[in-house]
Amino acid sequence: MIKPTNLVDIASTPGRQRDYVAHLKTLCDSLGVEHATYFSANPISGTMHGFTTYPDAWKAHYVSEGLQTHDPTLSSAARSVAPVDWKRLDRNDAFGRVFRDANDFGLPNQGVTVPIRGLFGEIGLLCACATMSSNEWTKLRRDITGDLLSNAVHLHDTVMNSDPLLRALRQPNLSSREIEILQWVAAGKSQQDVGDILSISPRTVEVHLRSTREKLCTISTAQAVGRAVSLGIIQPG
Amino acid sequence: MILVIDALNRHRFGSVLDDMYKLRARVFKDRMGWDVKVRNGREFDLFDDLDPAYLVALDDDYQVVGCNRMLQTTGPHMLADVFQDILCGEPPLRSATVWENTRFCIDTDRIKRKNDGRSVSYTACELMAGIAEYAYDSGISDVISVVDPAMDRILKRSDNAPCDYIGKTVQMGKTKALAALSDITEERINRIRAFAGITGNIFADENTVAEALAARGKGPDLSPDLTDYCDQQISDARTEKEREAALALQRTLRSAFSTQPNCDA
Repeated sequence: MIKPTNLVDIASTPGRQRDYVAHLKTLCDSLGVEHATYFSANPISGTMHGFTTYPDAWKAHYVSEGLQTHDPTLSSAARSVAPVDWKRLDRNDAFGRVFRDANDFGLPNQGVTVPIRGLFGEIGLLCACATMSSNEWTKLRRDITGDLLSNAVHLHDTVMNSDPLLRALRQPNLSSREIEILQWVAAGKSQQDVGDILSISPRTVEVHLRSTREKLCTISTAQAVGRAVSLGIIQPG
Repeated sequence: MILVIDALNRHRFGSVLDDMYKLRARVFKDRMGWDVKVRNGREFDLFDDLDPAYLVALDDDYQVVGCNRMLQTTGPHMLADVFQDILCGEPPLRSATVWENTRFCIDTDRIKRKNDGRSVSYTACELMAGIAEYAYDSGISDVISVVDPAMDRILKRSDNAPCDYIGKTVQMGKTKALAALSDITEERINRIRAFAGITGNIFADENTVAEALAARGKGPDLSPDLTDYCDQQISDARTEKEREAALALQRTLRSAFSTQPNCDA
């Protein structure tokens, strides 16, 4: 059985009305974590993007102390392939500096950072944290890591696509197989049907559709069909 | 046992990575005849500079007997940039929950030579279980593996058959290459474990391995500081020249600090 993904939409809100912090708050509620942070740098302009649900007092302290240059939940985790549970970070001076202060502000010391490597080698980071017992946290992190990955790439692509130059460079590049599958879905066929028609496993159909949704920066297959039709990639069903 | 090495801990395992690059040279250049760059007996390419995650299979003496390399498919990876032939020039899959597994190999010669009861098949299964468990724990739902037909047969024989193949099988050196798609589920992990009779945790504790390596005789004469420094230099080397220089420095330091004749056979 494929677990339904807990994915919160941000891309369908028009650019200027997007409230990334409210989006992160909704995400926190749906995943059962206390705070979430997104961070990335535009690979061309170098502009930093950061949004967080942390309280204003902490944000002010963080910036005035320049903690972002020490924070291992960003700098260390950015070089990982897999999501990094903060338990894995070296307990060095930089760690102590950030987590001692965070503790003074009553913020959780358990969390996970999900690194997303983008098309141009740029990195987007989604951090989530919560106060609970170590066992509870381990279980929660296991349950939500897949959702965090899907949400992280959706959020990252949305932020990157909000830059006109990057949007032009990031035209969705669908394979013939992905287009073929999406066309059959648009014609009303189920994943099982499409697998039978193309003589491939339903799982392969699922993976191609997931890839298609992410390339089109949409959260549902129905949205992906709509987007692909509007871009002229497929014919209306 | 399986040791996971990535950008966060690679400074501790420079010698393991060096052995891994040598194993890759023997397998992919010498045995398979792939068009890979080998310098000073080590196979190393630009994707190794992109902070990949490696799963390294170690035997009871902490010698490298297998390895692979994991990259995210959302960013630069081999199917997008090097193995276009397999995809017939089509753009690759891109998903945050799909990883790419390349340079997947087993040191069959060492395992057979050593003959300590651990079969090639067991080592392969341990590495495959490691890949599936590491991916599963990281929220990954599918892995796409670039393998040769021999490795593909091992996958199928080990009750770990891929669910499909992407693109086509292409000639590569003395053998062929293809891209296999495997879902990552508890069922798959259980099947591999049951097939090989694997029980318990297969992942090595980082500290235990680091201490064992330091005590292995490779560096008993070097202080922990110098050992760390040498490993850091080796793992930080960005070019083959730098790597050679770092290894030469390590050798020089070792012989300088050596208090007894080297008895290595």
